[in-house]
Amino acid sequence: MPAEQTMTLEIFRYHPETDSEPRFQAYEVPYDEDWVVLDAINWIKDHVDGTLTHRWSCRMGVCGSCGMMVNGDPKLTCAAFLKDYYPRPVKVEPLVNFPVERDLVVSLDGFMEKLEAVKPYIIRDDVNDTSGGEYLQSPAELARYKQYSMCINCMLCYAACPVAGHEDEFLGPAALALGHRYNRDSRDRGRAERLDVMLAGEAIWGCTFVGECTAVCPKHVDPAGAIQQAKAVAAQEYFRRFAMPRGAKDAGA
Amino acid sequence: MKRSSEAFWWALFSAGGVMAALFVPAFVIVTGFLLPSGDAAAAAERAAGFAGVVGRWPVRVVLFGVIALSFFHCGHRIRHTLMDLGLRRFSGPLKLPCYGGALAGTVWAAMLLWAL
Repeated sequence: MPAEQTMTLEIFRYHPETDSEPRFQAYEVPYDEDWVVLDAINWIKDHVDGTLTHRWSCRMGVCGSCGMMVNGDPKLTCAAFLKDYYPRPVKVEPLVNFPVERDLVVSLDGFMEKLEAVKPYIIRDDVNDTSGGEYLQSPAELARYKQYSMCINCMLCYAACPVAGHEDEFLGPAALALGHRYNRDSRDRGRAERLDVMLAGEAIWGCTFVGECTAVCPKHVDPAGAIQQAKAVAAQEYFRRFAMPRGAKDAGA
Repeated sequence: MKRSSEAFWWALFSAGGVMAALFVPAFVIVTGFLLPSGDAAAAAERAAGFAGVVGRWPVRVVLFGVIALSFFHCGHRIRHTLMDLGLRRFSGPLKLPCYGGALAGTVWAAMLLWAL
């Protein structure tokens, strides 16, 4: 058996209670071609340095917890294989465009507020009334929004988006795609109130269609496409309201 | 929350992008390569025939749509590029030169097409 191969991980470290500023710390980890970056970080946490702090859960691209910058690119670390970087060192940093709480952990507060703002749930007055049976949908009605419902809130798209980094009012790719997802759901009646949020200020208009959100999305949601579709809906609404100033507010999907 | 009027400008930008993408390459090929090709006399004859087609009213209307919307596409893109380059807080005042310029170009195009 050959001598054990290793590779280097350079990890962003910051403990706000003791560090005046962030620093990088290098760790040698065993190289295994089946390992992903998250395996290596977990190995460091278990065997070398228990103070290293990071988020993770499922290890299989479902939970959306382990998003980090890997050599400058936003990645799910559970899906970033060491063999794609070996033998060069791998630099691991917290997702950019978010405040760092500790080491590789970022604050989710701003993201959660934006997610809540688009009312990502079905809105209708008779939501509790099941007397008429289920709300049935045809395969075509499901197909209208299914792609946009695959988001796992991993926030890679926010780290990839140049607008999300400098425009606070911008709701960002995941939240807008999710709002669009409910606007396209045949069971939903909340489109008008959702659009009031999505079309205010820079909420959606901050997007200049860079498209990186779609490029980095691990679930192929295509938030950039969702945002452009939502802008087209907004333009139609604008001219419809202009043509019919009264009584146009409650038009459904 | 008040909905932004950006939808209006984005609609012009979007329509202008479609027009530019569909028509401008064709214009370049026709006026830049096909019309001037061959010997000078044949090219002049083709150019005269082309001018006759352009003078027809339905063609003038289409040309006006392509030119005007392309101007607004350009103005909107310049405005947003300037915002991205650090002038975000001037997003309101930037509308005047960007969309005003597009409007001026539109009026100019209308006058030229009218006088054909």
